[in-house]
Amino acid sequence: MVKFVFLDYFWLVLYLILMTGAGVLFYNLGKRSEADFFLAGRALPWWLPAVSVYATHTATDTPMWVSGVIYKHGFRGLWYTFFSAWCAIAAFVSARIFRRSVAYSQAEWQSLRYSGLGAELLRGWMAGWGFFLNMFILGWVGMAMGKLCNYLFGWENWIGLVFFSSITAIYVLSAGYWGVVMADFQQGIIAFLVIVIASLWGVREAGGPYAIVQKLYELGESWRLNPFHFTGFFSGDFPVAWFITMIVIAVLGGFGMGTSIDWYAEAQRIQSSKTVRDASYSIWWGTAVTLTRNAVWAVAILAFFVMNPFLVDVKEYEMAWFRVAFEHLPAGMTGFLFAGVVAIHISTISTHLNLGSVYLTRDIYHHYIKPEASQRELVWVGRIATLFLLIGSFIYGSMMEEITKWLIFALWIMGAGMWLPNILQVVWWRFNSWGYLSAWIANLGFSWLVVWVLPTFGVIPELPDYWQFWILMFLTALVYIPVTFLTKPEDMEHLVRYYVMTRPIGWWKPVEDEARKRGLIK
Amino acid sequence: MTFIRRNWTPEEADKWTREDIIAIIISPFAYAFLMIGVALSLFLFLWGFVALLIGIILTGFMHWVIDPKLKAISSEYEKKQREYIENLEKIITWRE
Repeated sequence: MVKFVFLDYFWLVLYLILMTGAGVLFYNLGKRSEADFFLAGRALPWWLPAVSVYATHTATDTPMWVSGVIYKHGFRGLWYTFFSAWCAIAAFVSARIFRRSVAYSQAEWQSLRYSGLGAELLRGWMAGWGFFLNMFILGWVGMAMGKLCNYLFGWENWIGLVFFSSITAIYVLSAGYWGVVMADFQQGIIAFLVIVIASLWGVREAGGPYAIVQKLYELGESWRLNPFHFTGFFSGDFPVAWFITMIVIAVLGGFGMGTSIDWYAEAQRIQSSKTVRDASYSIWWGTAVTLTRNAVWAVAILAFFVMNPFLVDVKEYEMAWFRVAFEHLPAGMTGFLFAGVVAIHISTISTHLNLGSVYLTRDIYHHYIKPEASQRELVWVGRIATLFLLIGSFIYGSMMEEITKWLIFALWIMGAGMWLPNILQVVWWRFNSWGYLSAWIANLGFSWLVVWVLPTFGVIPELPDYWQFWILMFLTALVYIPVTFLTKPEDMEHLVRYYVMTRPIGWWKPVEDEARKRGLIK
Repeated sequence: MTFIRRNWTPEEADKWTREDIIAIIISPFAYAFLMIGVALSLFLFLWGFVALLIGIILTGFMHWVIDPKLKAISSEYEKKQREYIENLEKIITWRE
């Protein structure tokens, strides 16, 4: 339990006023139109969405997760956090293509890339999936805050979940994405400052850099300082095969759209940037700061390790960074740290409240229910959708213990067999909506079999995750490649329009030739 | 003609070229060096500072290569965007 003094309350109240004030200030901009409520009018310079990328991907559960992998693996655990490096290539490939499509969401992009019934089915599916995925993330992250408040103040879990998500909803409902991105800007700066100060303070408490290194050698744990300390090619808990798989998934995934779950939030930031150049730099720099933040965290967690070596209970060492911060900062700074944690939390909550409501408003209501809706009406639908998400997240959050494993399975489905189709839809003209749809369905079945059913009945052993990835990729391809060739290509008229607009990378020669023949490109 | 091109017409910048490939290759290495460099530098290891310096140099070089091209693409695309958004609004009325 943590006790607050006057200065602690001062920091927290000051911050909460600053944050909700952003919503009030940008209310008039957010209510102007659908494009303002969800994309800030596509007018942002790169550094605003960049801070938002960083702030969004710094959630309450992120330091717990990073603590878990760094405490267990040392600096080699940094590679677990390197998954966000998909932005390395995405910044110069998929971000450019997506920004040029001017689609509000990934679901809308599907109907620009594909045509006919297949495109509509995909748009509806992606919108529904996106809405519930965001609700799940809100519940998950909200419950992490509930657990943290329980640890700090002894509150019931639901209080932290409901209280902080509700405060966030005030400015998201008022100003939409304008409120999100402006609040993210201050939250990102506060969160980064807090992470650096608390982490360096933890290093100081452990005796400083030299003393930590010395203690690691004395404990016989100096391998923790080596980011490339592999345990064999296939053997041990950090094999080279895992590393290669992770690099392939993360880095080459940048050629596609949706190869990482973070793509969907980034897509909104890409589209809200005022130019293609701003879009590219927003995700590149947002991710660069995210990766360096992980490095700062890693140093503090190794400091925690030398102060508390050889903990075996995951629940205990997953709190490493929070413990370094809350147990060692001086009185009066605890509130500053907690304000930083609140910043970390609500920047993620606000993003997913607004992003989830894009799907319900733009892709469901505006597209299927009332295409002639006025801008004012669409903004109000956006607010109602935000409210739905908020209430849904409370229900999800309270059920989390029971449903977590099913939802992790659902996320796994997105990551494995869908990885290559998500790239093919960007780089190969012949890949069509039926191929993509069949990949989703096949991956659902194969994931179920390979990850759950067959190992449970002893038909196959429980495989390491990197083997599961390659097997699922291969099995799913056995379905969607034949389906693609057995069904017609997308309508050439539609493809030419898409090509001229987005100029995709890869194998688009027939479409390029057709566009040139029609005099649409030189 | 230089190996790295720094002047672009909008039509030429729309194509995928050597400069894009260079940025695509350098970018993941820049991330890796920055991440590892920061972690090791905070423990005051010499090779940590070297890695961080390499990361910074790679980042600077990557921007030097790709920035003129991105500027050319952006300026041209700004002109066309209004037309594309109008088209997008037509697509949303899918029942017509």
